[in-house]
Amino acid sequence: MKEGVLFVLFLVTLTSLCDTINQLFLKSAIDSLNFSLSFNFVKILKFIFQLLLKPRLWLGFAFSVISLCIWLLVLSKADLNFAFSADSMHYIFIALASRFVLKEKVNSLRWVGIIFIIIGITIISFS
Amino acid sequence: MIKNKVTFSILLLLIASDMLETTLHLFFKKSALSQSGTSVIDLASAIIFFKGAFLSPYLWAGLATVVMVFIIWSSVLSKIDLSVAVPVASFSYIFVPIASAIFLNEKITLLRWLGILFIIAGVILVSLSSKERELANK
Repeated sequence: MKEGVLFVLFLVTLTSLCDTINQLFLKSAIDSLNFSLSFNFVKILKFIFQLLLKPRLWLGFAFSVISLCIWLLVLSKADLNFAFSADSMHYIFIALASRFVLKEKVNSLRWVGIIFIIIGITIISFS
Repeated sequence: MIKNKVTFSILLLLIASDMLETTLHLFFKKSALSQSGTSVIDLASAIIFFKGAFLSPYLWAGLATVVMVFIIWSSVLSKIDLSVAVPVASFSYIFVPIASAIFLNEKITLLRWLGILFIIAGVILVSLSSKERELANK
């Protein structure tokens, strides 16, 4: 049974990593468009269309599909509580990737907030 | 142009995207459950599992929700940092217990309230961190 838990943990790490890579490509594609959020429906559609023309977006999608396939496997194998709390590790991956790849300024307040969220998710998952 | 700030409208968009995402997990879970007869042990059984899952209408309902989430999520990301948007989106973990309490009359245990409080505090801290950055940029 111990091996089962480790294997699920490995799968969750993999799906978290794929998801992080997907978000990175998405964010970088969006940033390259210089779109500022408006609630004009036509403008949003135009933005989405331009976004879909970005090759790196589709690279991100590929990772997203891999992530989805692994996640489906996890859901069929593992306890949902465990899967969700383990999945909260992707907040750390996202923060690290934002900091080092996208050069976002992740200050200590943000780190503390992220750790609080992970603690909260873990508590909810197991209560 | 003011960037990086979590405004009320962005928060609303994130909540909408969160609720859709919760629905999406439900759909995907249903499609995975519909294949519970197949135990995945090797590549051949994995192919059978995914073939079955992709034939399930729940999976396609889930994918349609993905498209909606994608449009909302991309709009949000055009405005704020990735390291802010993702943690703030963790609101969905609060919705499920609260919705189960309201609609299913489930009791929220003290421990669960504690978890909810932790998440809310975390979301507030992350949102504040984006404001602090904006002030620092001025």
